[in-house]
Amino acid sequence: MSADRAAGRRESHDAVRPVERVGDSPSAPSRATRGANRRGRRIGRRIGRAPVGAYLCVALLMLLFLFPLAYLVNTALKSPAEFISNPVGLVQHPNWENFPEAWKMGNFGRYVVNTALYTLAGAGIGTVIALTMGFPVARGYIRGAKIWNGLFVFVMFLPNALMTQFHLLIKLHMYNTQLGYILMLGVGVGVGPLLFRGFVLSLPRELDEAAAVDGIGYWRYLLTFVLPLSKPALATVFILQAVWIWNEIIMATILLADANLWPIATGLNAFKGLYSNNWALLSAATLIVAAPLMVGYVFIQKYLVNGVVGAVKG
Amino acid sequence: MATSSFPFPRRAPVRFTFALSLVVLVVFALVPAGAVAVISFTDLKGLPGLPVHWVGWENYIDYFGKGHRADNWNAFKNTIIFASLTVVTQITLALLVAVLLNGKLKGRNFYRSVVFMPTVLGVTVTALVWSLMMNPSGGPMQSLLGLFGTDSAFLGDPKIALYLVIFVQVWMNMGVSVVIFIAGLQAIPAELYEVATIDGASSRQAFWYVTFPMLAPSVTANVLLGIVSAMQSYQLTFVLTGAMNKATQVLSLQVYQLSFGTRGGTALTQSQGYAASISMIQFLLVGAISLGTMVWLRRRERVL
Repeated sequence: MSADRAAGRRESHDAVRPVERVGDSPSAPSRATRGANRRGRRIGRRIGRAPVGAYLCVALLMLLFLFPLAYLVNTALKSPAEFISNPVGLVQHPNWENFPEAWKMGNFGRYVVNTALYTLAGAGIGTVIALTMGFPVARGYIRGAKIWNGLFVFVMFLPNALMTQFHLLIKLHMYNTQLGYILMLGVGVGVGPLLFRGFVLSLPRELDEAAAVDGIGYWRYLLTFVLPLSKPALATVFILQAVWIWNEIIMATILLADANLWPIATGLNAFKGLYSNNWALLSAATLIVAAPLMVGYVFIQKYLVNGVVGAVKG
Repeated sequence: MATSSFPFPRRAPVRFTFALSLVVLVVFALVPAGAVAVISFTDLKGLPGLPVHWVGWENYIDYFGKGHRADNWNAFKNTIIFASLTVVTQITLALLVAVLLNGKLKGRNFYRSVVFMPTVLGVTVTALVWSLMMNPSGGPMQSLLGLFGTDSAFLGDPKIALYLVIFVQVWMNMGVSVVIFIAGLQAIPAELYEVATIDGASSRQAFWYVTFPMLAPSVTANVLLGIVSAMQSYQLTFVLTGAMNKATQVLSLQVYQLSFGTRGGTALTQSQGYAASISMIQFLLVGAISLGTMVWLRRRERVL
């Protein structure tokens, strides 16, 4: 016992954590694991570190999250014939052909370009909306802060408006155009304006005044002061909306009749419809979509986690 | 008011960019949303150019009427089961995982990234990965069941399809809840645990009397976020089991199916007014449940 306490603040956190929770965790159901937990608990008390049981739980957790992806890679490397004769086993003869074939048949080159455009333009519009509305509302430069704050909350709860979005774009002659779809994505700001408004409160007001005294106009101030200072917050707003845009497959099928205009997620879903019996090819296609996301994830992870936490506080 | 202390030489630029953004937001987000309420009182069809009539409350009366009762009750029930089971499972598991990954473990940032990763992969990739895992003809989960001498049609089995979709939904979104809980855990002052130990609390007691009450705001945030997204999300169901599958049809999917049906089909002559009335019912339901939950959780926060 005393070893834990003597180790100080952080350790006392840890001591509470794994010792009890490990045993209760539903991801450790078997008796063998429970036994291991008890053993781990004893070791944990003795050396004042995370017990073995905690690592066992982590191992189970990682299995749950990484095995499906590993299995996807394994399947993507099989030839269709090998998948049929041995769907679960480890790949024997890697068949790299699946990737170029899926790339060609799925029209993915086109979809990658579309998705990049939709993500940059859609999330870009949303971020500009968050910046140009969130900043003046937070500062009180626009009257009616209560109304605008109410609006920022309301845009998170809007009803499912597929059919009216469809008719609106037809009326505006933007049905089946990239511009129309981009605008619909751009206004899906979700938590963005609210999040950015909260962030602006942490920027010193004196800076506005100092800049104004130096004769800097509002637009130049936004671009040369607010933008660089709030890069992390804006990046978070941008990325949260970008993630939503990646997941938006249903709106695309309705607002874009021409399959050449689809984003990659919709394209992949259509590919699934066409080749649902060829899992090797389908896995290769899925991996083509997933791989760049995983690489990108390494870079954006920091902002993403900030965004989720910030969204909750805001 | 704060508006009196406007430092810049001219107000026009502020108003201009603000108004520009507002116009885009109003035209493309608020107008369609408001129009849903309006057309829910009409017989608007999916095919543009057909005459539109006011029908008053007819769509709503229709919704609660006998004719559609079986379908409507099914979608309504599925939505409630989906939302409640998803929220409860996701939050319970996320709390356990957050407590686990908040500890001093080697490579803990890596574990956190892995748990959060499905959020980034997105709905189509997630759905395809799990369709592959649950492939009834020789997928890994079938092999696992085979060890116990049984088998399953998985998503093809209407009795369990909804629950499997819930499982995949939790797998995909749990990372978000975990991150929120970890942020909440790190905000708890360590002194509280020291005091609890001095008072002779066991670690189990420390969890229930220190960690759990102090996490109340994170729980509120997680539950609210979870309810709103679970009540409205339909993308995963759309990819996993299709829009027409009654076993997993939720309200949003019903709205989609009634408005557009299959692509390019005769469905364009269907009443989108009726679909809009379902969308409004869903909107009110989400609003009422979120508001009720928020009031309840805030009160609970104060009590704890």
